[in-house]
Amino acid sequence: MTDFSDALNVATSGMRAQAARLRYVSENIANTDTPGYHRKMVSFEAEVDAGRASGAVTTGPLRLDQSPLETIYDPAHPLADANGNYDGSNVNLLLEIADAREAQRSYEANLKMFDQIRQMQQGLMDLLRK
Amino acid sequence: MVLTTHLIADRYAATRAATAPQAGSGLGASLGNAALDFAATLQRSEQTAMASMTSDADPHALVQALAQTELAVETAVTIRNKVVEAYQEILRMPV
Repeated sequence: MTDFSDALNVATSGMRAQAARLRYVSENIANTDTPGYHRKMVSFEAEVDAGRASGAVTTGPLRLDQSPLETIYDPAHPLADANGNYDGSNVNLLLEIADAREAQRSYEANLKMFDQIRQMQQGLMDLLRK
Repeated sequence: MVLTTHLIADRYAATRAATAPQAGSGLGASLGNAALDFAATLQRSEQTAMASMTSDADPHALVQALAQTELAVETAVTIRNKVVEAYQEILRMPV
């Protein structure tokens, strides 16, 4: 419709994408100690609506981090091999926390944009009032 | 005297024809479109709100729909106030 409602749409898509990212981060953190777990990575793509870019963002297909799994020495573990080692997950908590903080900041930025668009539109309509 | 009255009546009829509303064009049509747009926005937000109450719909969609509806209602009310104000101004005109 108007630029304002389009902009609201774009800001909402940004918030939705960051929420999805945060969900993957929390899944990674929850599975830190899961043996054989590969870290999930999210990618962002420009949304294409009916053949042309709408300006909004969307999350792309899920990818798994293929870096080697952490080898943990624990002979008492049921999954331990002959040497007493087993494969843990390749989740790096420091990375995940940084990613979560980045998602939060991006979300806040989109939220601010949303609020500003609303205020601008409201300000325009306030002109008509006495 | 009778001639003058006839003249005035003719003039009045001519003026009246010029100021008659035209159906389906100009301001009426655009206002009608705006009202339809408004109704569609309202309906969409109602559906989104209902979906988020009854099922697990996206909260972002709900917030967006409600914000858009709020702005649409505000716009409609402001325009209505302005139109009513203009109408009252015409009514107050000394004849």
